[in-house]
Amino acid sequence: MIETVDLRRDFGAIKALAGVSLSVADGERRAIIGPNGAGKTTLFNVLTGELAPSGGRVIFAGEDVTGLRPHQLAHRGLARMYQRNELFDPLSARTNVAIAIGAKAGPYRPFRAPPASERALADELLERVGLPGRGDIPARALSHGERRQLELALALAQGPRLLLLDEPTAGMSPAETERIARLVASLDRSITLVIVEHDMDVVFRLAERITVLHEGRVIADGSPDAVRGDRQVNEVYLGKVLV
Amino acid sequence: MSRFVPFVIALIASAALVTFPTWTSQWESSRYATTILRDMLVLAILALSLDLLIGTAGMPSLGHAAFFGAGAYAAAIAGQRLGESLLVGMAAAILVSAAFAAVIGFFAVRAAGIFFLMLTLAFAQMVFAIAFQATDLTGGSNGFSGVQRPLLGGLDFSGPDDLYHLVAALFLAIVLLVWRLRSSTYGRALVGLRENERRMRALGYNTTRLRLSVFVLAGAIAGVAGQLSAYSIRFVSTNDVGVGRSIEAFVAVLIGGSGTLLGPVVGAIVVLYIERVLPSSIAFAETVLGIVFIVFVLAARRGIVGVAAAAFVRARR
Repeated sequence: MIETVDLRRDFGAIKALAGVSLSVADGERRAIIGPNGAGKTTLFNVLTGELAPSGGRVIFAGEDVTGLRPHQLAHRGLARMYQRNELFDPLSARTNVAIAIGAKAGPYRPFRAPPASERALADELLERVGLPGRGDIPARALSHGERRQLELALALAQGPRLLLLDEPTAGMSPAETERIARLVASLDRSITLVIVEHDMDVVFRLAERITVLHEGRVIADGSPDAVRGDRQVNEVYLGKVLV
Repeated sequence: MSRFVPFVIALIASAALVTFPTWTSQWESSRYATTILRDMLVLAILALSLDLLIGTAGMPSLGHAAFFGAGAYAAAIAGQRLGESLLVGMAAAILVSAAFAAVIGFFAVRAAGIFFLMLTLAFAQMVFAIAFQATDLTGGSNGFSGVQRPLLGGLDFSGPDDLYHLVAALFLAIVLLVWRLRSSTYGRALVGLRENERRMRALGYNTTRLRLSVFVLAGAIAGVAGQLSAYSIRFVSTNDVGVGRSIEAFVAVLIGGSGTLLGPVVGAIVVLYIERVLPSSIAFAETVLGIVFIVFVLAARRGIVGVAAAAFVRARR
């Protein structure tokens, strides 16, 4: 579904990505882990087109999409849940989702009110992510956990083929984490998932394959058991996380 | 029932507005009041178009007079060279102002916030310089005087009341247009742009194109305002492309309430009242506008309509 070839990104002298090659199969659930500053969010920013790579290539569904802009990638079926929520704060939760649903048809419908079907679909999605009956609440008035759920609803509203989840459970209570993890686990196999996450319970529960980044490089890539047993991974990361 | 009431009120208000010269004809100052109201409506159209950028899409422009002036000169020149048809004048005003907006917007929409503001200001100053120097077309510093008032079929808009009717009718049409736009899918996307452009891009919206589209649209509407201004005072000068005009519209939007439909209209009325009516009764009227503006920026950023709407919502609870 998505593949990177020797992907690089520099910020001045800092090599945030120093040649990352990885390949995620259709329908796979892949986790990307690593210590802070390993390049995980930079990788997501390059994959979504928000940052241009300094070198290397990105191949999405067989097409070389290197250098394409975010909206072009979105139309090819890529969606993203941001680490820090990126919502339309003063707008209602329902309108937030409706804007995401309306992206496919595009904004150039200047004399038509948004169709009622969008509203219904938005309410359906809100219910699915665990926000039933919260459609009228402005996004800014939702709790942190609810905002994460809304963030996920926006990404799902795009009907993506590939969904990038940047720390989906960050800052959530155990109960909220459980709900999101269950929701992500229940997503249809037609959606390929790439998850950056620090909660190792969530990672080992969801991921079929784990890629470990460290200082902008892939230092391990394999099944959860293989990664857990890897000596270098334990030294740089897991040893500190799983005491 | 409750949906019907605002509609009826709007209809009555519209009828009262268009027939203003008729039902005030007994007033001693009817002619003067009609002239002031006409100019208020022209400024209101300009402010409405500017607020599509400022309030709806979150693109504060300080160069909107470029399109007002382009429309004014285009209508004046079309009247001189292509005849007195209203439709020809309007086509000229819209096409020329939209073309200027497309060229300026192509560069300006790539910047945001204060950089967008400064770019629009700089481009508008370039348009000002062109108007100043293209003496053959615009009259340069002497201005373009003797603008032809238009004809439409059998209708002649050269009389003051007839021209007022034209301005009022077009004002209402533009209020209706902006109202439809704001409540449409397009308007919703503009609000999304204002609130979170990064998310809009990630969702698949081509935000650069969206920003350019609203910039051109607002420029075209400003062009119509310029056209009506040219017909109204039968004179176009470089003031109409100057930064003073841009600021006048900007202040009207902020005082009236940006991001609302009625705010720019109310703001335009307040600004022109202070500029044109107040000086006859008090000294230092010009400073009043400055003080009012400062008060609104410091204490009531949502403007008259924004504050009133919030008070109304609170009172109903």
